[in-house]
Parts: sequence; C-alpha cells; structure tokens
Amino acid sequence: MNERGPTGDSDLGELRTSHAWPDAGESRSSDAGESRAWPEAEELIERGAEDRPQTPTSPAPWDTRPETWPLAAAGETGDMYVRAEPAAHTMRRTPPTGHGAADPVKALLRRHRQLCERAVDPLEIAARLEAHGMTDRAAARFRHRDVFSLAEELYARMPRVEEERTPERGAVDAPDPHAGGMKPAVTTLLPGALCAVTVAGVHLTEGRPRLVTAAVGTLAVLLGLRAALRRGPLRVPSGLTGSTGGPRAWTCWLLAYAFCGDGLLSAALDGGPDGPWPVTTAPVLALALACAPAIWCVRLFAVRARRGLVVSRSLKEFAGLVRPLLLGVLTVFLCALGALLALCATALDEPASYAGGGSLGALLLLALLLTAHGSTHAPTVVLAAAGAGEVTALATVFAGRLPGCSFLTVPVQTVVVAWGAGAVPGLVCGLAALVLLAHATRTLTRASAHALPPGSP
Amino acid sequence: MRIGLLTEGGYPYVSGDTGLWCDRLVRGLAQHEFDVYALSRSERQEDEGWLPLPPQVSRVRTAPLWTAVDDGVVHGRRTRRRFAEAYGELAAAVCGAGWVGGAGPAHAFDNEADRFGNALYALAELARDEGGLVGALRSEAALNLLERACRAPGALRAAREARVPDLLTVAADLERALRPLSLDWYEDDGLGSVDLCHAATGGSAALTGLLARHFSGVPLLVTEYGVRLRAYYLTSAGDAPVRALLASFRGQLAAETYRQAACVTPGNAHARRWQERCGAESAKIRIVHPGLRVLRSADVAEAAERADCCTLVWVGRIEPEKDLICLLHALAEIRRSEPRARLRIIGAPADGPDGAGHLRQCEALAACLFPDKAEGEAEGETESKTQNVFPGGGSPVSFEAVGDQGLPGVAEAYAAGSVVVLSSVAEDFPVSLVEAMLCGRATVSTDVGAVAEVIGGTGLVVPPRSPQALAAACTALLRDPKRRARLGAAARARALELFTVERNIAAFSGIYLEIISRFPVRRTVLDETGGPLPFGIPAEARVPWRWTQQSRPTARVGPRWAVEGPVRETPVGRTPATAPAATTAPAQADAAVEADALVQADALVRDEAPVPTPTSAGTGEVAR
Repeated sequence: MNERGPTGDSDLGELRTSHAWPDAGESRSSDAGESRAWPEAEELIERGAEDRPQTPTSPAPWDTRPETWPLAAAGETGDMYVRAEPAAHTMRRTPPTGHGAADPVKALLRRHRQLCERAVDPLEIAARLEAHGMTDRAAARFRHRDVFSLAEELYARMPRVEEERTPERGAVDAPDPHAGGMKPAVTTLLPGALCAVTVAGVHLTEGRPRLVTAAVGTLAVLLGLRAALRRGPLRVPSGLTGSTGGPRAWTCWLLAYAFCGDGLLSAALDGGPDGPWPVTTAPVLALALACAPAIWCVRLFAVRARRGLVVSRSLKEFAGLVRPLLLGVLTVFLCALGALLALCATALDEPASYAGGGSLGALLLLALLLTAHGSTHAPTVVLAAAGAGEVTALATVFAGRLPGCSFLTVPVQTVVVAWGAGAVPGLVCGLAALVLLAHATRTLTRASAHALPPGSP
Repeated sequence: MRIGLLTEGGYPYVSGDTGLWCDRLVRGLAQHEFDVYALSRSERQEDEGWLPLPPQVSRVRTAPLWTAVDDGVVHGRRTRRRFAEAYGELAAAVCGAGWVGGAGPAHAFDNEADRFGNALYALAELARDEGGLVGALRSEAALNLLERACRAPGALRAAREARVPDLLTVAADLERALRPLSLDWYEDDGLGSVDLCHAATGGSAALTGLLARHFSGVPLLVTEYGVRLRAYYLTSAGDAPVRALLASFRGQLAAETYRQAACVTPGNAHARRWQERCGAESAKIRIVHPGLRVLRSADVAEAAERADCCTLVWVGRIEPEKDLICLLHALAEIRRSEPRARLRIIGAPADGPDGAGHLRQCEALAACLFPDKAEGEAEGETESKTQNVFPGGGSPVSFEAVGDQGLPGVAEAYAAGSVVVLSSVAEDFPVSLVEAMLCGRATVSTDVGAVAEVIGGTGLVVPPRSPQALAAACTALLRDPKRRARLGAAARARALELFTVERNIAAFSGIYLEIISRFPVRRTVLDETGGPLPFGIPAEARVPWRWTQQSRPTARVGPRWAVEGPVRETPVGRTPATAPAATTAPAQADAAVEADALVQADALVRDEAPVPTPTSAGTGEVAR
C-alpha cells in the first residue's frame, strides 16, 4: 500500500530545492516566500546558537528531493513507510537536485559552514549532524555510505580558518575570585582605622582606662585583620590550606616584636628591663594602615597575571611577563609603606624605623601573595624562621647574663652598636623577605600557580 | 560469581542516570554476588543518599569524582622522572595526530593506542606505588610536558595553536579524568577479588575497569547505552585547541576501553556504529536493548477501548530536540483534512530556564496556529455528548503532565490517544516509543537515532523535520482504525519480545557466563601462613569444559584449547547500516550460526584431544 503525502494536494510550491536551514543565507529568501504558509514559525522561533539542535524554521525536510523517500524503497515492509510523493507539476517546477546537481555535499557544506568550521575532527561533525537529524539513510543521498564518511568529506573539504581570538575574552570570561564590590574595600581599611582609633585612645587616656583601651584595641585590630584577610584574596580553598594557626601565630609575634621588641632589646643590653620599657607604635600603625595597599596589590597582581595568562602564547613568555609584574607590585607596596611609615612617625613623633617596618611589610606581603596563589608551605616556614630568629636574638641577650655565656651577646651587641636596635628585626625580616622573594619569583611565575585550585570543578 | 559493578554518577545513588537499570540488573541476577564501586558526580548526589540495596550486594565502595584530595605526597627525583616519562608519553599520544577522530579502522591507529595505553598504565602504576598523582598532574612539570607535546612535530593542527590558558584547561581536565588512577580499589581485596568487572557506562567507570584488568587481569564488560564520546562532542565548548585535545584524549580512552574489554554491549545499533567507529571489534559487540517494565495485557486492552479515535498523543520531555514545532505544524496540516484531530502533549519541560522558555514558545505557537477558539468550543460541546471533554478546552492542542487530573500514570498517558507521535530530530534510544509499543499503540515517528531499529516495521516512520510527511502518516492512521489495531498489536508483540526487563537481564546473565568461561581463574589460594592451600581450588575448575571458548590470547595464561579462533557473532553480510531490522531480528538465526561455529571449533578440539562434546557433557552432568 503506497501512501501519498499531502503534498499531492496542497502547498505544492513549498517543496523547494534549497534547504530551509536557519544559518543558510540563501534559504532565508525562500523562507520569506513561504511566510504565507507558516507565518507563525517565522515570528516565534528565535534563532539560537547555530550548533545546537534547533527547531526548524520551515516545514521542509532534510533534503526535499522530490523523489520517493528512500526508506520506502529500502524497507521490505514498504507498506509501513510513508512515501512523500509530490504531484507531477511539482516535479516540473523544482529542478531535481539529487542526480542533477553535481555536488550535493557543497550545499550541505554551505548550510553547515559554522558547524564544520568549528569542528575539531570528523567525529564531531558526525555527532552534530546527527543531532540535526542526519541519518545514514539521509547520508545515502549525498552518495555516502554513512554519516561518518559524509562527515569526513565535509571535514576534508572545509577550508580551515584561523580561529580569531580576542585577547580580552578570556579575561572577561574568567571569574575573578577576588571581586567583591564595596565590602572588601571597606574591610581592607578596617585594621588601619581600628589601629588609629586605638592609638588615639591610648594617647588620650590615662591609668586603668588606658590599659583597657589598649587591650580592647588590640583585640579589635586582630579581628579586623582577620575579617580583611578572610574576605580578600586570602580566601584560599579549604582543600589547600594546611594549618593556618602556625603562620598566624608567627605573624602576631613579628608584629608584637615590632611593637615592643626594639625597646626590650635595648633595655636588655643595658642590663634591664627595669619596669616598662619604651614601645614603638609607629611601625605597627603603619603596617595596619598598609593592610589596604597590601590587599590591593595582591589583587592587582592576580588580575594582571590573569590578563598576562590570556595573551601569552607559551609558558616562558608568561614567566617573562609575570616576573617584572611581581617586582613592580612589591615596589609599589614598599613605596606606599614607606610613605605610611614616615607619616605615622611624624604624627606620633617617633623615630621612623624604615628597616624593621619595611622589611616586615615586604615579608608579610610576599607571604600573602604566595598563600593567595596556593603555596602555603614556604610562607609558613619562612615566617616561622623569621620569628625564631627574633626570639633567638632576644634569648641570646638574656642568656649572655649567665656566667660564662657572655660571648652569646656579642653578635647582637655588635649589630645594635653599629646600626641601632632596629637593625636586628630589619636584618632578620629582610633576609626572610629575600628568601621568600626568591621563592616567589620561581613559584608565582608558573602558569600552574594561576590556575584554579583542584577542588574547584 | 562475584561481579564488580562499576558506575559513575549512577547506581547506588538515588539520583543516578543508570540507577534504575542497575537496580533491576542486580535484583534480577540474585544468584551472583555484586560488589558496587561507585564514582559520585557531585556533592549533592552524595547527600541524597543511596537506593535500598538487595542482599546480593555484598559491598559498596564509593569515591568522589567532583573533588580531588591531594594526598600531599611530594615526589622525589626518581619519581618525578618516572612521572615525566609517563605523562610525556600520554601527552604525546593525546597531541599526536595518530587519532584523528577515529579516521580509520581499528588497526590504523594501533601504535598510537599502544602508546596511549602504556602511558596510562604507567601513570596508574606510579599512582599505586607512590601516590601524589593529583599534585603532579597539576604541577608546572605537567604543563611543560603538555606544551612540549603540543609544539612537537606531528602534533595536531589545533594543538599547535594552544596558548597558556588552553594548556591550563587541558591539564585540569586531564587531572579530573585521571582521578580514578589515584583510587585504592585495585588491590587484591578490592577489584582484584572480583571475577568480572561490569562498567555501567564508558568514561571514568570503564577506566576503573581497565585498571582492574591491567593490575589483576579481571575481564571487563562495558555497557554503554549512550556513547560517551558522542555526548562529549555535543556538549563540548571552549577554544578549538582545548576541544581538539580533550576529544583526542576521550577518543583514545574509549578506543583503549573497547580494545581491552572482553565484551561491549551497546544499547542499540546506533551506539554500536559509534563504538565500531571508535575501534571496537565487531566480534566483541553484543547489542543488549534496554528493558522496560511491561504493563499487564488487561490494562492495555482497557486502554485501547478508552482511546479517543481522533486524538494524537505525544509523550516525553519538552525540549528543542523533540521538535514539537514540527508536530504542531503537522497538526495544522492534519486538521485541514481531518478537522476533528487533536493533539495532547504530555510531559514536563526540561530543567532550567531554557526548558520553560521552550514550553512557552510551543504554547504560543499552538495559540497562533489554532486561534479559532469559538469554533473549537462548539465542536467540543457536540463531541462532549458522546465522549469525554478534551482537556485542552477549545484549542485542539493541550499541554499536560503525567500526574495531572485524568492522567495518573504513564500508561494512561499513552492510552489517551489512538496514535502516538514522536517528532524528534535527535534520539538515542527512544524510550517513549518503546513505552508506546508496550501499550499497544500505533505510532508515527521520525527516522532518527535508533528509531527505525526499535520500531522495525510495526509503526510508521517519516523523515525528520517534515511536517507534511508527519501529517500524511498521522492522517492515514487516524482514518484507518483496523490498520491502527494491527500495527498496535504488532508493536506490542515486538516490544514484548525485545524490550523487556527479563530479556535484558537474561542477556547479561548469558554474557557473564560467556565471559567468565573465557577467563579461567588461575589464582593461587593461600592459607593463613602464606603457603599455597592444597585443594583451595576444586578440581572441577580445571576440567576442560566446552564453554571455555577463548577467542583472543590474553595476559592470563590459559590452556591451548582456550586460545582457539574467534567465534563469529553475526552472519556475514548483515551490517546494521544496511538492514537495521536484521540486527534486531529474533535471535534464532544468530544462534544457529553461533551453534555452527561451536560445532566447528569443537571438531578442531576433538582432533587434538578427546574432549567431551557439549551434548555428552550435558548428559554426563544429568547422569551424575
């Protein structure tokens, strides 16, 4: 039983030789001719991405060759298949494509130009053609055994074009892990502001309230610091962090030394301390205020490095881009810190300890940078070493008082006599910062340091 | 027999895509013991918990694929060199142009496949001996090796243009894909102790099976209902170098899987074509159709009586691939000649905003195509005297979901109309079509994916994207109730024969036995003190039985009769491309050919040594 399609009695003009495909320029005109028959289709269907399976914009089948649908001829159960046989005058109006046209694949190629240009191998073309409804039987009309060999021909005949890439695209696409609107900007300023308020409070009060103010202020500054680092670039994925307690404790110790270490060392060398020794607030205040530039510098480094990642063609080129960036960021931060140190020293009327404060600032910035890029081991070790160095310096001075151990005091005493008490932390932190800088120039110039961490999907 | 069931984002978890099938398989083969090794795909999936497990599941081991636990092992210099060698080989194989989208038959890229496989196993051995693979795969050394492979002469065109971000993406993706290498499943008390690994999907699950095969020689059976590689091509995004490299990796992994697997079971001939294209030997492939639950025949008969003679039904998930637009145009066409025709679209939109948007688009198109509400209502009133009121109100098209009023189940959904329509432009295995067949409905479907193979002449097939052809077929069926009934009965008979759960399980049961017969266990059983245990393996295990048909020499040492010539699975000249019905034809013909091959092989065996024939062996057993 052969069945005749409705094409025999209606809409004969709609059977066309050109293909109704959304991305074919030529088919748009024929679609326009058809818009009377299917007006809604034209209006309603959005044209989506070309390579996804999409809804057809016109009712024509894959290849509207006005001949018997080959399924019917091939199947033994011919009665089960429907033949779409057009009437005689359709044959007259439409030029035959199948055997008449010299190159049926060319039209297909034109229709799927974007798909074929994008494909990386023949199998991808095959997969996407199948998603568009191509079957082996349809491929037979392009004189191919199956979709695979048709896809191979398409792949081979497609002129390969250089995929043009805009360098900014990746930078825009890549999610910035450090972006966060206004809130981080406020939190980066928090430690400095709290520290300033505390210092002012301590200066304005006397006696017991002064002690209370100092204690509360210290606590507030520490909490503010924690908030700033947690929101900022230090938000290290949980899988990577080892124990953060160690570096945190050492950082606190280094800051404490900057606060009262120099006075204690001088007093100890003079045979004291007898009662409270003088403290230096200026470097601590300057470091607290420098939190904001430090976090901005880390962010700047991350953003610029990612931009460099996108534009660089090889790993070596990337390393060459990042190395000056790292040094530049460090310089900018040191300039800012120096300015803050001078400012605080002037405001508090204290001697500016550029060596101690500056080297400690550099050390902390490098530790922050390394931690932000997933390398937690080296900062931990170096911070601990620096802290231990300062502890040793103090301990040797006190140990020198034991009988027969006076030689222990000699190195520290020599340094202090030559350059002053501030030189001890300056030397220790400076050495540590240099070691960390050497490590950072090796680690942070690697592309793998700027990849997303393994925990992320 | 102890089966190691390997799943990825599947079985024991509630929200797994292979969950239902695996559950039926495990429950259906209660005579075997199952060890489930599951890889979870997301944290949410793990939180949702497991399905209730039957007692034959003796152990379940799970590992996450969505996160990597860096074990913190830092490699020494020798290990680093070992890693560099292995990873460099892998990168060279991936970047090399040897595997250009499966451009040739299986043997054309044998060298490349060897290279890839060796590198993969070297990495696995490294992970087993030393650990720390996650960190190494993310390291700068890995990136350097990858870059060198990309710039090497003979690399893929696209790979040569790879930039640093591309390298990073590829390295991260390779690390993700190679996470199964770091698992501790391959010890003797893990996958080493199972008799057969059954990977429920390709990809990571099959990779686990590959490693078990490499380390312990466990035979591997791979079931793929949808070919992973094809799905990857359809979903891949990103720059050309990334897509090219990852496609090459996945393609070579698939090829290696098919090469090493003892048996590959695609769900349909369409998947089989893809597997053959990717290097699977035809002799290893057995098509095992998915099984669906069967309705009782009484329900079906009742449904047939209730069916409305002018209603078309479409059931499925509302997606652009299903091409409802074409169906709606076809309905407009049908209504020109058959004004009483109606369409019920039953199904939920796909997840996400796109799905809902597509549903709205379809509804808007329906409203535009059939604006004559008043006329429809008038018709509805006249009809309502004789039969139920159509749920769509005045419009001839209604959008419903299973669970709505009057549609408590899937069976009722199919029973709602006299003809079931499938208008997809792309399908893998058309489940809704099989359900319609099991409900005894006459169907009209588009010729995509495995549709022609499934329907096999018991329904009408039209070209995709052709509303006229679809309309013509539907009109023909709507006008001819006798033909409808005939096709429906034939479809139900066919589905009952081919697509039932029982058949699916029986097929796997047979394949298990067949594989295990080809891989005789040669394991030395040790006692508590570590010495060989006398009679640890019973003497029967060494009987040269008839079913020990070994088709290929393998890593295991077996007797000579076990490495005879291969047995042809399908007769010559029947390829799925030319005759889709032939591959799904009743199994008698194939079975006959196979029996012939068995007899021939048997004759060969008997020439060498007196071995009991199958019949005598069988009778012997009965006598005993």
